[in-house]
Amino acid sequence: MPYLARILIALVLGSLVMTNCLYAESNSPKITVGTQEIGLSVGYLFAHRLVEGKSKTKQSGPAFMPSWMITLTDPIGNSWYRGQISLGGEMVYIQFQEPVVTHGVGFAPKIKYSFVALDRIHPYAEFAGGPFWTDLAGNIPEQHSQFNFILMGGLGISYFMTEGFAINAGYRFQHISNAHTSKPNVGLNSSLPFAGFSFYF
Amino acid sequence: MPVKLRFSWTIIVCCGVLIMLTTGCGHRIELQATADSSPKPIVREIARDEQVPLVIDSVDTTRNGSPQNSSLETEHRVLGTLRGVGLFSRLGDMNSPEPPASEKFIRARLLFDEAIDSHSGDVAWKSIAIGASMFTLAPFIPLEYDYSAHVTLELERWDGRVKHYESRSAGTAHYKMFGATPLMIDELKGHVTESCLMALMEQVVRDTAFYTASSAPILDQPIRSVSVKSKRATFTSVPVTTSSGK
Repeated sequence: MPYLARILIALVLGSLVMTNCLYAESNSPKITVGTQEIGLSVGYLFAHRLVEGKSKTKQSGPAFMPSWMITLTDPIGNSWYRGQISLGGEMVYIQFQEPVVTHGVGFAPKIKYSFVALDRIHPYAEFAGGPFWTDLAGNIPEQHSQFNFILMGGLGISYFMTEGFAINAGYRFQHISNAHTSKPNVGLNSSLPFAGFSFYF
Repeated sequence: MPVKLRFSWTIIVCCGVLIMLTTGCGHRIELQATADSSPKPIVREIARDEQVPLVIDSVDTTRNGSPQNSSLETEHRVLGTLRGVGLFSRLGDMNSPEPPASEKFIRARLLFDEAIDSHSGDVAWKSIAIGASMFTLAPFIPLEYDYSAHVTLELERWDGRVKHYESRSAGTAHYKMFGATPLMIDELKGHVTESCLMALMEQVVRDTAFYTASSAPILDQPIRSVSVKSKRATFTSVPVTTSSGK
């Protein structure tokens, strides 16, 4: 945890320093239909219990999420909700540090709605879901099957430092379960604050 | 897994990837015929000493009804098209100095009204379907992007007489998710704009005689005043919302 916290702090501070350097020569982002985005987000997973007593495992660990997206619409609407829809995919790698050191990897198609009314600052809402493999299963009472599904939904903010580069930060709610493909199937819910960056081209 | 079954799966996966690459990345542009364009090019002749210069006075651009900053690209494109017609001796952009009042020249004012519809609502639903299918439906779900242009050209002769020309053109880009690129949109806009300008130039060429130097004398008392007026705002503060990206 301290190691990851150091990485996150360095990422945020480094981005803020770069913002000042790049601000003078940067332009507003021009994202149109077909604009692609590749990015990397890093976060830390905290166990989150929706129903008390059902899930006992306090899974936690760092998560790495490289992603690719393509913008499919021009800005919709003429008010604060003016925004664009992007579709893409994301790889999710989680190194569970608790309760035992294990790993999880998955792929999730992702849909994102970015609010573009604030020029350089683009808040966004995203949803992703897909298959997820983890060897944490079998080590915890909630899941015995290594094949699972991961669902993620969250909010974030992108700050465009240049026309083609943005830093991101946000929060995600994450759910891992096997969709009743095997028993037991007690979902693992977690909170995932994250930070990262994206390139647009 | 038996070798034969593994081979079959390899073939199926290869076919799937091939279909994805060939159909999932494709796009097609459909251009609607411009109503006022004639199938045969119109040809007129003009003597070199009958040609007069043309200066662009203003270029106004609107997109989906909202005024936009006019791009140099639009102005250069119009100038390039006018140069291709060969009707005028010299062409000047908005920054060019206007010829003296004692000289015969044409003033041009251009209004470029474009309408874009990226079918956002439709795309949103289709995106959900594509994502839910883990992109396997991407090669089979068509997406569309509409673009139309309405160009109005006003040419004012040295004696103050004005002629109005207008033309419309529209097109649609049919594409698949992986085929969406900004270049595709530029391509669509390029074709539509070209078609629109061509139709406009046909109308101008028909009026060749009107722009010859001998068509009208310079006024003894040249027009020394112009109307100074502010435009009435065509938009009120009533919020406008659409679901289709307009």
